[in-house]
Amino acid sequence: MGTPKVEFDAEDVEPMEDEVDGEFTDSDSDSGEEDIQKLTNPSKDAVYNRDGMNDKLQEISWPENLGWLHKLSLDINQEQDVDVNDDLAREMAFYTQALEGTRRAFEKFETMGLPFLRPPDYYAEMVKSDTHMQKVKSRLLAEKRNMEEAEERRKARESKKLSKEVQAQKQKERATQKKSEIEAVKKWRKQRQQNGFPAPGGKKNGDEIDLDFGDGVKPFAKSNKQRPGVSPGDRSGGKGRMKSWKGTGKPDKKIVKRDRKDSKFGYGGRKGMKKQNTADTTDDFRGFRKTGGDGGNKKRRKQ
Amino acid sequence: MAKKRKHSETVVAAPQKKEEVAPERPKRTLLGWKDKEAAAVAAPAEDKDDEVHQPTNFRNKEKVLVTCSRRIAYRYRHLMLNVVSLLPHCKKDNKVESQSSKGVALSEMVELKSCSSCLFFECRKHKDLYLWMAKCPSGPSVKFLVNAVHTMEELKLTGNHLKGSRPLLTFSANFDKDAHWKLLKEMITQIFGVPKEHRKSKPYHDHVFVFSIVDDHIWFRNYQVLNLLRDLTQVGPRFCLNPIKIFGGSFGGPTLYENPFYISPNQVSVHFPW
Repeated sequence: MGTPKVEFDAEDVEPMEDEVDGEFTDSDSDSGEEDIQKLTNPSKDAVYNRDGMNDKLQEISWPENLGWLHKLSLDINQEQDVDVNDDLAREMAFYTQALEGTRRAFEKFETMGLPFLRPPDYYAEMVKSDTHMQKVKSRLLAEKRNMEEAEERRKARESKKLSKEVQAQKQKERATQKKSEIEAVKKWRKQRQQNGFPAPGGKKNGDEIDLDFGDGVKPFAKSNKQRPGVSPGDRSGGKGRMKSWKGTGKPDKKIVKRDRKDSKFGYGGRKGMKKQNTADTTDDFRGFRKTGGDGGNKKRRKQ
Repeated sequence: MAKKRKHSETVVAAPQKKEEVAPERPKRTLLGWKDKEAAAVAAPAEDKDDEVHQPTNFRNKEKVLVTCSRRIAYRYRHLMLNVVSLLPHCKKDNKVESQSSKGVALSEMVELKSCSSCLFFECRKHKDLYLWMAKCPSGPSVKFLVNAVHTMEELKLTGNHLKGSRPLLTFSANFDKDAHWKLLKEMITQIFGVPKEHRKSKPYHDHVFVFSIVDDHIWFRNYQVLNLLRDLTQVGPRFCLNPIKIFGGSFGGPTLYENPFYISPNQVSVHFPW
């Protein structure tokens, strides 16, 4: 960079801080070379005309005693040096500078008795249009909504993990409750016995309250009978006993039917339920043949 | 005096006038008695620049001309438009042809529009933005390289303020540390500060400009003051200025300052092609 060094004072070169340390340590450069050496070499011949600048400053400055209201400028002291690359710290520094500035300005305005902030009912043209602010608002709301949804999803995941445990706990609870209820009933019975209340039905044995219905069926015992019509799709009559499976995975229809009839009417079925004199049996003399047919193979008889 | 007055009227008027003038006493100041007439005579004679007493008749008549070069990128054009909306005392002008004796041409144009300073956004190679800040008749001018540009249209900058309200300018303390920073501070104050009773200015002060020097760059932020003591939101735009050179004249002239740490973007792309 061939700079025109018109006014150059050698002693005015300012030793400034190094931005980058020692990565490019080369020899001194002329002003004519375009190298990175400029970074590490602050005391090269950069023009620094302090007097000239001061003169210009005097030229353009506004009058000294000008009221602060004209300039509205404030100088804020930065507490600590901020690292440029740390975005958050840098922005915080700017923010605190602005905050401090407004505070001081507010104090000054207070003493001068001038209004400072915009009152809420003052409507005028703003620097950003209303449509733009709408967009900003909708974006903010969308962000908020996303965050909330993410939170909910996370919570659902967590709760799912816990749900198994919760279920197990609940079951335990129920079992203990049932136990405790049964215990309570037993206790109550004992109490009655102790108190000498006679059992109903005239029996001296007060241990068991006799609830005999004369049916041969014990109370509170699981009945062996299948209840007819226990469920619409249950063709086994409620018990679902499959006597023999021939290995095909499907029980034989006849056996299922037999099982059902057995469970309903006992083995062999009711004597009276069999049809005896029908059109087919009139001409049927199988029972009256001597040795015809299968020769005693009774299994063949069933057709 | 087109109409000739009657003799009686003038006679009546004169004694009244005398009565008005007579009771006025000479003003007393610390230095002694100062006659009002003497003060009145002295004031216009005093120049704006060598003031000693309170400048009662100073008016900030700053007008900024804002232009850009041709082939400017959209982002930088929006930045320029944002700046135009922030400064009610500016005048936006058409794009200028770049190169070819631009210093002289620009100065002339500024004079033509009767502005006292200029912000010229120059975009090179469609990706580097240089900002010239110049005080126009004879004042110094600065050339900056602009980085980290965020315009007001970004949805993350959620603040808003009155268009044309006067900003509070805050400078970090290190602006007073050195001559070139002082000069820059004065220029920024004059250019970015909205004049006091400007026609288009609005009354309240609801935003703050932050100019702070970090790492030898001037960082600019614009915050909206929501309520005091706590709440500031960014309005934007935001950018970072890297001073390259300060010239004694407007858009040219003797170099007063050269930034030793400045590397031009061309050099950067040569040495760091990735």
